Amino acid sequence: MSADGCGAPAGGAPASAAKEAGGQAVVQGRVTRNGSALPLGYARLLNSGGDFVAEVPLGEDGGFRFFAAPGSWTVRVLAPGNIRAERVVSADIGKVTDLEVAV
Amino acid sequence: MSRSDVLVDADWVEAHVDDPGVVLVEVDEDTSAYDKGHIRNAVKIDWRADLQDPVRRDFVDRAGFEALLSERGISNDDMVILYGGNNNWFAAYAYWYFKVYGHNNVKLLDGGRKKWELESRDLVTDVASRAKTSYHAKEQDSSIRAFRDEVVAAIGQRNLVDVRSPDEFTGRLLAPAHLPQEQAQRGGHVPSARNVPWSKAAEEDGTFKSDDALRSLYGGAGLDFSRDTIAYCRIGERSAHTWFVLHELLGQPNVKNYDGSWTEYGSLVGVPIEVGDAR
Repeated sequence: MSADGCGAPAGGAPASAAKEAGGQAVVQGRVTRNGSALPLGYARLLNSGGDFVAEVPLGEDGGFRFFAAPGSWTVRVLAPGNIRAERVVSADIGKVTDLEVAV
Repeated sequence: MSRSDVLVDADWVEAHVDDPGVVLVEVDEDTSAYDKGHIRNAVKIDWRADLQDPVRRDFVDRAGFEALLSERGISNDDMVILYGGNNNWFAAYAYWYFKVYGHNNVKLLDGGRKKWELESRDLVTDVASRAKTSYHAKEQDSSIRAFRDEVVAAIGQRNLVDVRSPDEFTGRLLAPAHLPQEQAQRGGHVPSARNVPWSKAAEEDGTFKSDDALRSLYGGAGLDFSRDTIAYCRIGERSAHTWFVLHELLGQPNVKNYDGSWTEYGSLVGVPIEVGDAR
């Protein structure tokens, strides 16, 4: 993945933002099922109006990461077996919002 | 043109994956997905390494496209079935690209890799071996590809469809939200553009919405179906998805994809930019 690209690598972009947000509003997390990472599925980011904004395939550790704008967002998880889960989060510049989504 | 001319579903692929004359091609920006597992018999095309010139910002030239398809074992008579991740963004880009170079027998797997995965269909890691061919491409079809001067001239004259997310359209974000936001270009959109995010044309499983729903979507956003249209996004793959919808599914006659898109337009000196909501 490079800055010139546009695709969504599994787990989201591997930025330094994993631990530090810098100037970004980071929403990230990990999806688990029965206590183990769920590596096959998708995380979708929806805005406060419920409209789709972004989607990444889950990483091998069940992880996902978005670079949002300040405000309220919904993370929706889709996985095989009609698994769906949602979490509402708040994002701020300079902050990493970490989620644990058990499905 | 009907949907069956341009789309196949997963059941069709499972039934025809071994047919001679049918070539499955997975297209991604990050081809590690293919390497971890792909539909049986599929070959891969890397959106960047295979389809972009390594020096200039442009397509590979005609000879390069011929060499690529020949090396992948694709012949002029083959039916090419494209699919990929990101809700088929890069597969739709490749579809448009194949059309630019005159390969007409090409279709998309509706729903792409995501629907296939969500339905727990089989993926394999064995790489298909195909005999090399001698592929002959046509001259580029400029009737479906827009360049920057044409976009500037289209302001207020043609439909301009910005298919990025509303936050990118208004200038609040410079890239999709799965990417860092540090970019050189200015934020905003081409004046007079309507914002119809590509995602509104797709169901949650990545399949395309019905023709009626699509007509209602673009009509409701202010598109004049009697006018010519240019679609753009950030680098031209999401807008290839919308080009596919407007040109291939809805049969609009004069639709172009501007693959320079916002990374080019937003860096140009002296062109007009609007920020905020559509006016």
